[in-house]
Amino acid sequence: MIEDDVYRTSSQFRLWSFTEASLKSQRATTNSVASDRVRAALRRAQEARRSANSSAAGTPAPGGGDADTRAADEKPIDCLTPEEEQQVVNYYCEQIIQLGEAYKPALSTQVRSTAIQYLRRFYLTNSPMTYHPKQIMPCVVFLATKTDNYYLSLASFADGVPGSTPEEIIAPEFIVMQSLRFTFDVRHPFRGLEGGIMELRAIASGQGRPAPHFPAQTPTDLQRALQSIAPSPSPIPTPTLDDRISRAHHDTREILKSAAQLTDAYFLYTPSQIWLAALRVADRPLAEFYLDTKLGGPINQHQNRTQKENPLYALRTKLLVTLSNCAAMLQAYQPLSSDQDQMNTLRRIIGKKLYRCQNPERANLAGQKRIPAAAAAASTSAAGGGESGTTSESEMERLAKKRKLEQEQKGRDLFGASW
Amino acid sequence: MPPARDAMAHRGDDDEVCPVCKSSRYLNPDMRFLINPECYHKMCESCVDRIFSSGPANCPVAGCHKTLRKAKFRKQTFEDINVEREVDIRRRVMHILNRREEEFDSKRNYDDFLEQREEIIANLVHGTDVAKTESDLQRYASENMRSIRANQALEAQEASSFREQQTHEQELARLRREAVRQEYENERREILAGREDVLSRLAAGRPGDAAAIAREGQKVLLKKSSARRSEEDRIRQKQAALRNSDVKKSGQGAFGAADRADDSGASSLIKGLKKIKTPEPEKPYDPFMGLVPNKRDYYTLHDYYPNSYLDPVRQDTRMLAGGYDLQEYYSRTLMEAFAGLGCFIDEEVSKRDVISTSDISEPVATKGAALAAVSSAGTPDASS
Repeated sequence: MIEDDVYRTSSQFRLWSFTEASLKSQRATTNSVASDRVRAALRRAQEARRSANSSAAGTPAPGGGDADTRAADEKPIDCLTPEEEQQVVNYYCEQIIQLGEAYKPALSTQVRSTAIQYLRRFYLTNSPMTYHPKQIMPCVVFLATKTDNYYLSLASFADGVPGSTPEEIIAPEFIVMQSLRFTFDVRHPFRGLEGGIMELRAIASGQGRPAPHFPAQTPTDLQRALQSIAPSPSPIPTPTLDDRISRAHHDTREILKSAAQLTDAYFLYTPSQIWLAALRVADRPLAEFYLDTKLGGPINQHQNRTQKENPLYALRTKLLVTLSNCAAMLQAYQPLSSDQDQMNTLRRIIGKKLYRCQNPERANLAGQKRIPAAAAAASTSAAGGGESGTTSESEMERLAKKRKLEQEQKGRDLFGASW
Repeated sequence: MPPARDAMAHRGDDDEVCPVCKSSRYLNPDMRFLINPECYHKMCESCVDRIFSSGPANCPVAGCHKTLRKAKFRKQTFEDINVEREVDIRRRVMHILNRREEEFDSKRNYDDFLEQREEIIANLVHGTDVAKTESDLQRYASENMRSIRANQALEAQEASSFREQQTHEQELARLRREAVRQEYENERREILAGREDVLSRLAAGRPGDAAAIAREGQKVLLKKSSARRSEEDRIRQKQAALRNSDVKKSGQGAFGAADRADDSGASSLIKGLKKIKTPEPEKPYDPFMGLVPNKRDYYTLHDYYPNSYLDPVRQDTRMLAGGYDLQEYYSRTLMEAFAGLGCFIDEEVSKRDVISTSDISEPVATKGAALAAVSSAGTPDASS
């Protein structure tokens, strides 16, 4: 199918499509790597603090205070699990939707969805423990306004984000872009939905065109078939066919705006599968009718075997399974805010746990905004120094040396291996 | 022909007698013998004039019934008539079988060709299988007319360029000689002038200066001669460079023209010729590389879709003035509606992952820059 080959060339398919297993293993890897780093970084910070304290006191200070801190230090650092990380990311994805509403006029769905997908892609290879989503979230929204041609100046954008400066917003921009592997193209299902609805309307008004593989279809046949499909399961009555299509359009759009964005649908399915699955959730008979006009209907028992070996039929069988999986995923989605209990746990996670296991060496991004390679060493060592009061000279040297080494490594596979 | 050489050639032939008119050189020292490559019978110039002036006639030698023409008569080059004949045959055969080494697949094939050619020549010379060999040769000549012609032209060109180069070189040598002579002349004159100068200064100067003037004169002479020598070197180098470039140019000329004629009838006589590739006729330009531009597999694009939201656009001059085309919208939305419908990420990505992990030794490296970005804070080895 030509259309499929068109999609196969997209960066979304090449770099940002995963199987469920690979998605999970990717998240686990990211989490374990980040946890190790957080533990190491916190240990370093504590050692630095301790050495600073002891040098400040002149003698190893005896007494309760020191023992307390040491006891606290010895306690294993409690890192987020991959599931918790994902919840945190989902929470911030919902925040993006709300942030979009805050603007006058509100940011378009396209921009918001792109931003959400950027955030999700970013946190596939980065952990919230390394980069706090609170810092990243405004940045991806701003990036999305740029990639979706929705112009907002940085200053006016920053006005909409409470408690942040323009510098803070664009500080992580390069890191974000790098993590996105500089692929800014997000294929959304919205426009595809418009196309499908457009064609359904044409069929309903008797102007449908036969699909390329079924030249025998006539507009009147199609219209009659559409009129005779099972009634909509929707509770709201839709007297005319046009109303029904409008209803389905609206419902599908709502699903695409929320459930499709806040689940892993974009990673696991293609945009056209997503919108068809969403249409299937909204109005199943309509979606199945539409698919049958394209790929042929179900095959009866008495039809011959050659029909069964038809590639279109094989495609249809596979596609129906995929669509039902995708529909199940979309239906299973519940907004986080709907569940008060879950919301409370999340607040606790974000407020306490994430605060405690935040990587201290990555806390300050503002210093390394535009030229991260050059500035990273300086800014992070400066940040480390600011945190622990006085970092010893040898410590500074060691950090600088290590950074240099890592920069070299980073340079080697900046974009990852090519595939 | 200079008479000295003529005399040399015919020394000892004083008693030579024309087989036709029986007049001998003894009586007629200016007598010259001619032969005709038809039968190689020798006869004197006056006989040729006498017998063949009025058109073709039979050979006057008894038993030889070949018809000869006056135009074909020529001087004998070699004393031995057999050698003369062989050289003629060789010339004729080589004229026809004039394949060049670069036309063969391998050196071996070329050598085989040379051997075959020698065999043909020997057959013709010694009269074995003459008829068959001749007919082969004629057939080959008629079949490969064009390549024979082309190779002849090439040969002629090479010969002429070789001659040209030779004359050029001679000219250069002459110029060099001239220059050297001039040089020598100049030097001599300068030495003389210098000596005279010193002498006149010695005559004019005071007795105390004599030694100094003599020394100075010596020095000036030396300086001049060394300056001249370096100048000479420079000129010589220049000329050498010029010569080299000339040689190169002429060499290129000889080979650049080696375009090959196509001989469609692959000669059965000669084996191992390179296959001549006729370039495929250029196909009409296909900008889509075989893709049919508006072919779609899931939908058929329509000119109009009913849509209450879009319908006003068709009349809106503000939209249309900017070049907005609803057709573009239709085709894009429908394309996006179906792009990737048949891509099953489960299957295709897992297949791709298998390929990429077998290709790339370290799978984590493929996860890209993101991990590398993370790694700028942690331990360097943690990314593996």
